[in-house]
Amino acid sequence: MNRFCEDLTALLPRLRRFARGLTHDAADADDLCQQTIERALKSRQQWQEGTRLDAWVYRIMRNQWIDETRARKRRSQTFVHEDEGMNVGNAAHHEAENLVELGNVGRALARLPEEQREAVVLVLVEGFAYKEAAEIIGVPQGTLTSRLGRGREALLKELGEAA
Amino acid sequence: MSVTPEELMAYADGELPAADAARVAAAIAADPALAQRLAAERRLREALQGHLNPVAEEPVPDALAAMIAAAVQEDERKVVSLAAARAERESGTESGKRPFMQRWGSGMAIAASLVLGLMLGTQLQPGGPVAEKNGALVASGRLAKGLENQLASAQGGNGPLRILVSFQRKGGDYCRVFENGTAAGIACKEDGDWMLERVIASGQRQTGEYRQAGSPESALLAAAQDMAAGDPLDAAAEKAVRSKAWGK
Repeated sequence: MNRFCEDLTALLPRLRRFARGLTHDAADADDLCQQTIERALKSRQQWQEGTRLDAWVYRIMRNQWIDETRARKRRSQTFVHEDEGMNVGNAAHHEAENLVELGNVGRALARLPEEQREAVVLVLVEGFAYKEAAEIIGVPQGTLTSRLGRGREALLKELGEAA
Repeated sequence: MSVTPEELMAYADGELPAADAARVAAAIAADPALAQRLAAERRLREALQGHLNPVAEEPVPDALAAMIAAAVQEDERKVVSLAAARAERESGTESGKRPFMQRWGSGMAIAASLVLGLMLGTQLQPGGPVAEKNGALVASGRLAKGLENQLASAQGGNGPLRILVSFQRKGGDYCRVFENGTAAGIACKEDGDWMLERVIASGQRQTGEYRQAGSPESALLAAAQDMAAGDPLDAAAEKAVRSKAWGK
């Protein structure tokens, strides 16, 4: 097995954890993982040896997820339009059910805005340095730390002593 | 001595330069509120990791590993076919660089050079088909005339000279593969002369249209194909180039 694929295989457990952190849903996370590996394999010629493979694949996953959430937003907007308010309640109900399963921490994380959640997960769970996390997201380091700070603040407030 | 929330966060994340870290550590030691704040940061990190780490402990679904394994196989196939293509290319380049005599089997090369020596012995004479000019062999006499005038596309096959094919080589010179009963070769028009690029003894002339594979002629044709910049000239192109005396 060549080096790239070997290293990618070794990354799979971490990639699954990051996917769960981003999506807070097991099925979504599995789909996201699959799409990410597909993309990474397809563009493996673009990866430059000597650079960090993990950061490269995390970036692919993060961008894939952004694309997915945007597509969902468009779909749900269309959906609400067509069926007036009726299904909004259902969707909210479904969302609430999911949140109950998540537990306190998962729920608090799920309520964060996307951009704060990815910053929190990259630094506090995946253990990336600010510089690396900023590169994965594609923002200046100052933007990363400010999102991280706000996300952290919100989590601490929500979880309080439970955290 | 004040510590901003950003500094405390960076301290908790191990992102502060050593000097700043020491200052923040001293401030935390002196201020229970700061210490509490730091403890909360650390509990948050532990809670988040406690929530997500179990996912990394789960067995990885087979589908993901299978996707990667399939890509590995694909890579290996590509490597094999690339290596094969490279080997082919390299052997092609090498044979292209060899002097023409080495292009054929050694037995044939020796036989050919013997006959060529005999042929040149008799033919390198004033009025013969081959002349020497500045150390190079050029066609002369009837051979030169034939190369100049005879069309590959219009010949009976009964004359002493046959033109097998005409082509333009890389660099622009026009060349012709010929056979005249005792010798066969490739001649290219350079500065008004038909330079003999390759000459071999052709031995007994084969009659008819059919050219035997592996014969000296087919080796010459293969060599001509390597030299050529494109397809052989067709009847019309041949005529047009002849009318310009085979000039570039």
